[in-house]
Amino acid sequence: MNKNLKLRRITFVYLLIIFFLYGCSTPEERAIKVPGADSVNTNAIRIMQPAGPKLHVVEIKDMKFQPESLSVKRGDTVMWLNHDIVTHCVTEEKTKAWTSSNIIANASWKLVIKNDADYFCAIHQVMKGKITVQ
Amino acid sequence: MKQFMKPVMAAMVLSMLTIANVYSQTSGPKLSDPEIASVAVVANQIDVDYARIAKIKSKNADVLKFAQTMSEDHTAVIKQAVALVTKLGVTPKDNAVSQKLLSDAQKTRKQLSSKSGKAFDKAYIDNEVAYHKAVINAVENLLIPQSQNAELKKLLQDVVPTLKAHLAHAEMVQKEFSKK
Repeated sequence: MNKNLKLRRITFVYLLIIFFLYGCSTPEERAIKVPGADSVNTNAIRIMQPAGPKLHVVEIKDMKFQPESLSVKRGDTVMWLNHDIVTHCVTEEKTKAWTSSNIIANASWKLVIKNDADYFCAIHQVMKGKITVQ
Repeated sequence: MKQFMKPVMAAMVLSMLTIANVYSQTSGPKLSDPEIASVAVVANQIDVDYARIAKIKSKNADVLKFAQTMSEDHTAVIKQAVALVTKLGVTPKDNAVSQKLLSDAQKTRKQLSSKSGKAFDKAYIDNEVAYHKAVINAVENLLIPQSQNAELKKLLQDVVPTLKAHLAHAEMVQKEFSKK
């Protein structure tokens, strides 16, 4: 009887340790590895990155465009990402050639850049930014 | 030289501490977190109310646009503050600062309501400049230093750039008026 209880206790502790260790491993570690899969992916990215148009990110944070001034190649895409709790927008300043309309909190907007642009937030008109085509 | 600097530095630090201490004792009321939450909500609501008057009374495109921004931004800040106090289980508590803000705002609303046309636009924008300056000062020198909860402090700190952008925007419109 006593031996039986001891055995049960040991089994329980073992199971606990196994569960604990399983919990420590990441899902990636648990998944079955396909040899070479990682290197294929990174190579594909490495080949694609310099050739095609690039994606640039302008963060909107603390009522500022960061970076305020950005230099891109014609055809590159710029994505504005709003981290503030208030709604912003991105509008070409001189002729209002383009506008994002409202970019609410945590939302983003993308534009393929064709020309130089001075832009501003039409909602908070003191927020200004600049894009230069190289 | 080093030997001489030590007591000088000590005296400087000591005098700075004394000044800071005296300042904190004399720089207005002591507020608890529930009271700070109340002040934050009240201060934002007051500007939403000013904007509502402007949207009814003004015909100036710049003023209307500015008022719309004030209404939306300060409503967003209130929402954020309410979400935080709900999460923290804090109930905003009425206090002398909230009361003073409300009674001052009542007088200002009366003055604004008595004006119309360009006189209203100017009075509204002048008040927005003065009000945002006062609120920035209160947030930076009273609410942030006195808030105990780290998340409440962070929310207040995050709001400062918004208030400063509003002030700069209001001053820009004010400048346009003075040119005309």
